[in-house]
Amino acid sequence: MEIKERQAMLQFSLRFSRALFSYRAQLWFFLLPFLIGTAVLIVMPMTATFFLGLTDYDLFSPPEWNDFQNYQNWLGDRLFQRALYNSVWFMLIAVPLRVAGALVLALFLNRSGRAFGFARATVYLPTIVPEVAYALVWLLILNPGFGAVNLLLDALHLPTVAWTLVPFTARASIVVMWLFQLGEGFVLMLAALQLIPHELLEAAAIDGANRVQRFRHIILPFMVPALLLLTFRDIALSFQGVFVAGILTTETGPYYTTYFMPHYVVDEAFALFRYGYASATTSLIYLVTLLTVIGLFVLVGRRRDDGVE
Amino acid sequence: MLRQVRLRALLGAVVLWLGLALASVACGAPASTQAPVSNATAPATIRLAVNEVPEELATFQSIVNAFEQANLNIKVKLENIPDDDEFTKKLAADIAAQTPPDVFLMNYRRIGPFALKGALQSVDKYLNTSQVIQPGDFYPMALDAYKLKGELQCVPLNLSQLGVYYNAKLFQAAGVPLPKNDWTWNDFLAAARALTQDTNGDGKPDQYGAGISTLTIRLMPFVWAHGGDIVDNPERPTSLTLDKGAALEAFQWFVALQTKEHVVPDKTAEATQSSQARFEAGTLAMFFQSRVLTPELRETVKDKFVWDIAPLPQDKNRATILHSDGFCITNGSKNKDAAWKLVEYIAGPQGQTALAKVGRNMPALQAVANSPAFLKSNPPANNQVYLDMAPYVRPVPLMTTWLEVESAVNKEIKRAFYGDASVEEAAQAAVETTREYFKQNLADLGSP
Repeated sequence: MEIKERQAMLQFSLRFSRALFSYRAQLWFFLLPFLIGTAVLIVMPMTATFFLGLTDYDLFSPPEWNDFQNYQNWLGDRLFQRALYNSVWFMLIAVPLRVAGALVLALFLNRSGRAFGFARATVYLPTIVPEVAYALVWLLILNPGFGAVNLLLDALHLPTVAWTLVPFTARASIVVMWLFQLGEGFVLMLAALQLIPHELLEAAAIDGANRVQRFRHIILPFMVPALLLLTFRDIALSFQGVFVAGILTTETGPYYTTYFMPHYVVDEAFALFRYGYASATTSLIYLVTLLTVIGLFVLVGRRRDDGVE
Repeated sequence: MLRQVRLRALLGAVVLWLGLALASVACGAPASTQAPVSNATAPATIRLAVNEVPEELATFQSIVNAFEQANLNIKVKLENIPDDDEFTKKLAADIAAQTPPDVFLMNYRRIGPFALKGALQSVDKYLNTSQVIQPGDFYPMALDAYKLKGELQCVPLNLSQLGVYYNAKLFQAAGVPLPKNDWTWNDFLAAARALTQDTNGDGKPDQYGAGISTLTIRLMPFVWAHGGDIVDNPERPTSLTLDKGAALEAFQWFVALQTKEHVVPDKTAEATQSSQARFEAGTLAMFFQSRVLTPELRETVKDKFVWDIAPLPQDKNRATILHSDGFCITNGSKNKDAAWKLVEYIAGPQGQTALAKVGRNMPALQAVANSPAFLKSNPPANNQVYLDMAPYVRPVPLMTTWLEVESAVNKEIKRAFYGDASVEEAAQAAVETTREYFKQNLADLGSP
């Protein structure tokens, strides 16, 4: 009786420990910190932001419900409309350029050799410069009098431009600054390229497919998941990534042309103390991002169904 | 069976994580169980939040150290965030989280929202019974700037004001008489014209007569000097009035310094090298700034050239604009009595004297301003200018949304100043875009 019990206990604890150290349990165990982190640092603040967006809240006294008044305010708020227009403009121009840039650079630099290794490091470097330092360096590069760009143009006897002082070039400068920080996307593209089975490309080459055909029918289809991932990520980042550059390099000008959504949200929340309204606007940023991502997903999904596969 | 065991293992892991999380929370908890210390004679630690550049932070630290020497039972934690906007954000977040500093130093233009939302302890009762400082010790204008709804919200540290820093060497080289205390707009313009010079003959000036930031707070004293005002009623403003009468004329005169007279750097020149950098390099003769620039000029100019301070030129009136910081006690402070002790020390004769010596302030205490601690705090040699101008100092209107008004008007001034819009168009846009902020301020203030 006693022995049987002991055996049962032993068996149970064996099973328990086996279960505890099973692949699945380990998976959950290691996943858990990230799940908790995501819940506490992302899901909870997002939910709180959404609900605060339905209230009047000034940080000092408790929030009060206000019947979607914040959402109605958007209609008459010209500063908000300017910021939204600027941010959407930026997203539509900068995201495709940056994703395409990462892809093209990865295609060219996905070769062995010391020079290519150096080139890859060079492409990645601007990405790891701290944001404030990066913005200040560009302020020097774009300086109308002694900036590197204008000195170069001057040496070539080309007309110079006061880059940060003209509405179009100021916005374009912010786009270019953002383009140079494509290092992470570039690494992702390199990894995705190296996952493409080499045999396929060789077989296609033997069958007489030229470079363009190989890219169109083999490389691109393989890259779609990575490209989509990168695009979604850049869409989300495009709404935030312009904050420091907009303040330091162009001072949100000339005349509001580089005044973006994050500037607006920070002004509303911490200068005017309209925290509820700022929360509603942040929720709108989430929504615009989400809708863009869903739209793109549907679009690409449909194309793929029609495709060769 | 196995599935159940797995589930149990998973649960075990969850419990473990939750346990750890709870333990860490529990460890952090006991702080809140301490009873608040309300008696200043009991040992207390108070937090003082400031936003200062490193050189002046050192002075604040030495004042705080001296205070601790004199009040052995009070410890002071000095916290610095050297950026106005970041400082305001951090302060608002701290107040929202109910962990505010006990005392903070803030420009009077920024206190409106804090005062109105009840985040500040009014200091009337402390100042009226203080053995160290009395209301009559201060310049009345400095105190008035901190009064909201009839209550004094903070204790002023300084009565600094906008003035004209000038490079005496450039004046002498050009044979231009140095600015007098009663100089006029025309005197100023004549000097600026003579001092703007193209020394290398490339058609662009290499030396500018003047430099001024395109800010609302720079334009305002010119509007006042011309007999106008930027708002309809400074006590209870309902609208900007930059688009009419004397205000518009002053705005036009101000903008013409660039668009017509070309005595200040144009847009491209300013972006290439700022007016302040040009002044410090000795290639710009007159620069408009408050007293706050003095410690920096002492460091950067050294003996490159002699510089001094002149009052703003006068037109129909004499006028200049108040630049003042005050010490405020938060309503959430657990040690208000100890906090007041610190405020009356640092805003009192000891603190103001120490800060006058490093050059940062024109003191708000009349006795200190008239003492050698300030008058002999040279350069600038002519500190008397600040005392003479004290009766003509005017504050910005105290509004909960004032900074937003400033920010919107700044953009319009900049646009007009650099010739991207006409003055009338910019003034009109300024009135339109700020309408909402005036409305919100009135809603915040409630009925008079």
